[in-house]
Amino acid sequence: MATSTVDTEGPSYPGEVSEGHGVIGARSDWLKPNVTWAIVGAVGGWFFGRYVGDLIAGNWPVSQNTTMNNVSVVFAMSFGVLGWIAGIGALTYPILKMLGREPAPVQPSSSWVRYFRMTEDHKVVGLQYLIGVLVFLFTGGLLAMAIRTELLSPTSHVFGPGTYIAIVSEHGTMMMMMASSAVVGPLGNWLVPLMIGSRRMAFPRIEAFSFWIFMAGYLVIMTALPLGGFPTGWTAYAPLQTQANPGMDAYLVGFAVIGIGMIAAGFNLAATIINYRAPGMTWSRVPIFVWSILATTALLVLATPTLIVAGYLGVLDRTVQTAFYVTEHGGSSFLWENLFWFFGHPEVYIMALPGFGIVMEMMPVFTRKPLFAYRVAAAGMIGVALLSFFVWQHHLFQSGINPDMRPLFMLTTELISIPTGFLFLVTLGTLWRAKIRFEVPMLFCLGMLFNFLIGGITGVFLSDVPVDVTVHGSFFVMAHFHYTIMGGLIFALFGGLYYWLPKMTGKVLNQRLAKIHFWTFFVFFNCTFFPLFLVGLLGMPRRVFEYAHNLQTLNDISSVSAFLLGASFLIFIFNFVWSVYIDPVKAPDNPWDSRGLEWQTATPVPWFDFERIPVVLSDPYRYSEPGAPPVADPGAPSLGSVGAMSYGNAVGPRDVESLPDRPGDLDPRPPIL
Amino acid sequence: MPSESTGQSEPSSGGTSPSVSGPERTTDGQVDDTHHWWRIIGFWVVMSAIADPLFYYLAGPHIPPGTMSNVAQGAQFDFNILIVAALPVMLAVWIYMGYAIVNWRASRNGPEPIGGPRARSNIPIQTTWIVFTTALVLFLFGFGTYELVQPGGAGGGQGPSPIWTPASHDVLPIQVIGQQWKWTYRYPTFGGFETTQLVVPDHTAIAFHVTSLDVVHDFWVYQLGVKADANPGQDDVAFATPQQLGTFVVRCDELCGLWHGAMYNYGSVLRSAKFESWAEATEKRLAENTKFLPAFAWTYTPDANGADGGYYPDNVDPYSTVETYGATQPGEPLPSTKTTKN
Amino acid sequence: MVDKLVPAESFPILRETPEEIAYELRAHEGALWSGSRMLMGIWAFAFAALGFAYFYLRSANNADLWRPARITAPTGVGAAVFAFSLAAAILAAYGLWRFRLGSSLDWEVAGWTGVLCSLTAVSLQIWQLTDLPFFPGSSGYASCFVGWAGMNIVLLLCGAYWLETLLARHLRLRRAVADDGGLARSTLPAVRLFRVNLEGCTYFWAFIAFVAFFFWMLFYLV
Repeated sequence: MATSTVDTEGPSYPGEVSEGHGVIGARSDWLKPNVTWAIVGAVGGWFFGRYVGDLIAGNWPVSQNTTMNNVSVVFAMSFGVLGWIAGIGALTYPILKMLGREPAPVQPSSSWVRYFRMTEDHKVVGLQYLIGVLVFLFTGGLLAMAIRTELLSPTSHVFGPGTYIAIVSEHGTMMMMMASSAVVGPLGNWLVPLMIGSRRMAFPRIEAFSFWIFMAGYLVIMTALPLGGFPTGWTAYAPLQTQANPGMDAYLVGFAVIGIGMIAAGFNLAATIINYRAPGMTWSRVPIFVWSILATTALLVLATPTLIVAGYLGVLDRTVQTAFYVTEHGGSSFLWENLFWFFGHPEVYIMALPGFGIVMEMMPVFTRKPLFAYRVAAAGMIGVALLSFFVWQHHLFQSGINPDMRPLFMLTTELISIPTGFLFLVTLGTLWRAKIRFEVPMLFCLGMLFNFLIGGITGVFLSDVPVDVTVHGSFFVMAHFHYTIMGGLIFALFGGLYYWLPKMTGKVLNQRLAKIHFWTFFVFFNCTFFPLFLVGLLGMPRRVFEYAHNLQTLNDISSVSAFLLGASFLIFIFNFVWSVYIDPVKAPDNPWDSRGLEWQTATPVPWFDFERIPVVLSDPYRYSEPGAPPVADPGAPSLGSVGAMSYGNAVGPRDVESLPDRPGDLDPRPPIL
Repeated sequence: MPSESTGQSEPSSGGTSPSVSGPERTTDGQVDDTHHWWRIIGFWVVMSAIADPLFYYLAGPHIPPGTMSNVAQGAQFDFNILIVAALPVMLAVWIYMGYAIVNWRASRNGPEPIGGPRARSNIPIQTTWIVFTTALVLFLFGFGTYELVQPGGAGGGQGPSPIWTPASHDVLPIQVIGQQWKWTYRYPTFGGFETTQLVVPDHTAIAFHVTSLDVVHDFWVYQLGVKADANPGQDDVAFATPQQLGTFVVRCDELCGLWHGAMYNYGSVLRSAKFESWAEATEKRLAENTKFLPAFAWTYTPDANGADGGYYPDNVDPYSTVETYGATQPGEPLPSTKTTKN
Repeated sequence: MVDKLVPAESFPILRETPEEIAYELRAHEGALWSGSRMLMGIWAFAFAALGFAYFYLRSANNADLWRPARITAPTGVGAAVFAFSLAAAILAAYGLWRFRLGSSLDWEVAGWTGVLCSLTAVSLQIWQLTDLPFFPGSSGYASCFVGWAGMNIVLLLCGAYWLETLLARHLRLRRAVADDGGLARSTLPAVRLFRVNLEGCTYFWAFIAFVAFFFWMLFYLV
């Protein structure tokens, strides 16, 4: 392991009253907090929690004659998470702060170990999130394969009803947990500082913590399976939730844990975007992807606390026997429904908005035209975020809510389709008289638009109450949200990965395999989910294992396509592993010829992102505009030159076409060692 | 449309020469994009004019949930109108995308794209888009509300105090009781007998009073177009007037535990006269059992006999050792079964 | 900043210009400001969810079990919890006022007293929960009360932790900046960030006081 005597000139933590720091000690990396200690902490915490829970609640009447009382289970999970967080070292700084001490600055590292530790480098966090998100996606995907296997036949069953319900619930919950951080995690963390011209995030430790607690959430929701799963689906309606077996606690605690991670990530990203923009980056020059992340953070920070409180009330119901969700004791099953969906609807926009951001960010690069109606796009995303708080009762149209509410929520839901439609205004306008290069990211953009159109239009159908009476709770709803989330967000995510992975990993992905992946993904996705619209219209409810015989053909088409869809993901995994690890080819600095600020760095991006904080001169979409200034001035030529930071005093603009791939080649500044 | 005049005077070229790098221009130097518009709009108009009537007249009459009841027919009509509105929208986007992909691909070596302010924003286009989408959405809202209030609430559950009631004053109440994992039906106007068969008369307004004994279920009568959540301790009312004879399926539409997938049964619509005779015959047949049922009420709290672990108030309490606060103690009169608000 | 010789295979050196350092300092001040306001927003929505539960269950009054017999949690202890929370907030505000006038020692004393008050409030709240005259599930009011009490404990601990870390940092910095104008006047980066942080914490305590008052009203007065 290379020890280095590197010294960062200037404090790595602004404002730190820095003493000198010398050689890193030779203490082994294994003893420092890392994922092995996190696992040890988690296991230790689990057993400690069981013990404490049994102490407290062992002789409560409600615990008699049960194998595992709920208090024990909840404590076990909570202490397990706490142990995980302590093991990874996330508690070091909070505890040191209480003693008034600052921790030693984290030295940059190039060893692979940094991916298994808390890190202050947002790029490392982004790649950690990428693996985490893919782990969630593939686990949930395997569960989906199991569901489609069961649904091959209406009468002959592969799983028992309890197992099937547990699989369905686990699949849905895992996917929702994954999707809420699918873009914000990997791409948001990796890209946002680079896109706004910042060297760092506002709160790097909180950012790293958000990833590790995301993984803690994965472990908690996976413990549901050995605990018998939970029978409520991801919507966890009470009082079935109150009645359920201990696996239900895994859902409640797991979602709360994921929620904490979501709040942390949103908190950090919002503070960064608002405060850390480079000089010259006014709001009208902010990349549209950053706008989408900003709109998403508003929802992450404000809607998720409701989920945590709703889950907390559910845990109270199950442990200390409160009656929040039990109608017969003064509570109300509607309370859970309202609290959950007040979070649940902004949650789906947390998923959708970053997908919009990715597509709108990539399209100008592959059409060589500026983004059409940029301000409308940004305003639209803010509008969607704002309106998303006012539509939640459309999930409750037939639930027995006050009937006066229904036209109101039908109106707000219909209205939210207007700013959602701006995505199409902007992307179609960008396509007008363009010069379209059909690289893989562009294919995913176009595929996303195709899928999201279907998903969005069927959403308008669902918002119409009379039609909703027929299709609510059926496979029509299922197909709608798979088209919007999988067809929209996941397509956008993969497009974004193919686009940015050359910069993130420094390696080129095989383009032929990527195109095969796209086409198999697109074709099989549509073959899997389009028949489900028909199946739902024809009367099949969600989450059932028995259905009418005449629906078997459609279900079988869907199931077979689903297996092929699952297999198509293997193409991506193979491509990724082969191109990054087995036979890597170094990527050029700017393979797509993009004007984005994140592409004006070298590949691989140095640990400090920018040698000089750039002065931003224009937005990144000024394609096909002769005489357009470069997106940013990369920095003054000499060390410490006064006035390098002030706008208007920058070195003269250089035509972006003539910038070499490695900006350092012609740069008179001292070379980077 | 994005267009740009640069003041160059080039001879007009009718079409695109393959290696020309400038945009097409007319004699006065304006870039001529109108033919793109005409092609796209023309194709779109033709496709919509074919697709909409094709759908409406061929597929429309067969769209679920069918026409077995007035609310089902209303829902079918609503769906058809939505498709008629949605098809042109989807066709517009797809035709435009297809046109762009075919015409403006890089490999076609067409004119270079033009950047600059004209390509970044076009106020007339943006305004048209916003106005049009808003108008369409508001129309759909108005139409949906009209359909919702018309035939008595479109068959959806309206809670215990429905506001869109059928026009007819002769409403037959049927109580639907959901429990894990079966449906039973009580007919209060026929002595309150409880049966697992759902039989309804045609051309009669029916009020389904849906409630649950344990967790949240959902009463979905597919062919009658009725859907109402069954909430414990709540009454959820939905209306329908059957207008055709036939059999229908009742499914539970809200995940309620283990056997949710098997929680379904069938019912039938009979002629009114036949229904009357069935109801009276069943009332007589079940009279002995009806005596032992709880008095008819809009909601019920189950007599758990300790099986619930003490969660629910008990009337007869030999087994439960947990004190249930607020519950009726043995020997006390039952609480009045009044409707609880949602 | 010593320019050390570095071996060729180690890292690129980052040399920050004074302007960049100043820029990032301003950015971090802004981030602390944004962060403290966002924290209030997060807690506001969390308590709004609980408030929604309270009002919803009260208006539904299912099974006549919202608040049978006008049951109320022990008012004395409840008033004490509220009083100590309010005292901590007032002490934080008073301390900030004295700090801005230049006497950071006053702020220290007020701060530590405030931390003590909030920990007392937490202890009282925990004790009250273990000694309730009603079963948690006996009514809607009881359930909401237990739920709120738990959240109250976490909120108070959050505020106490924040205040305590500031007090600890103040102790560490005090001697270092005594001849640079003290903490109220020094322009050293660490101190500037400290001041923004302190202001955010004081606002957060005002928020805690407001929430405490609102729910004290709902559970004890109304």
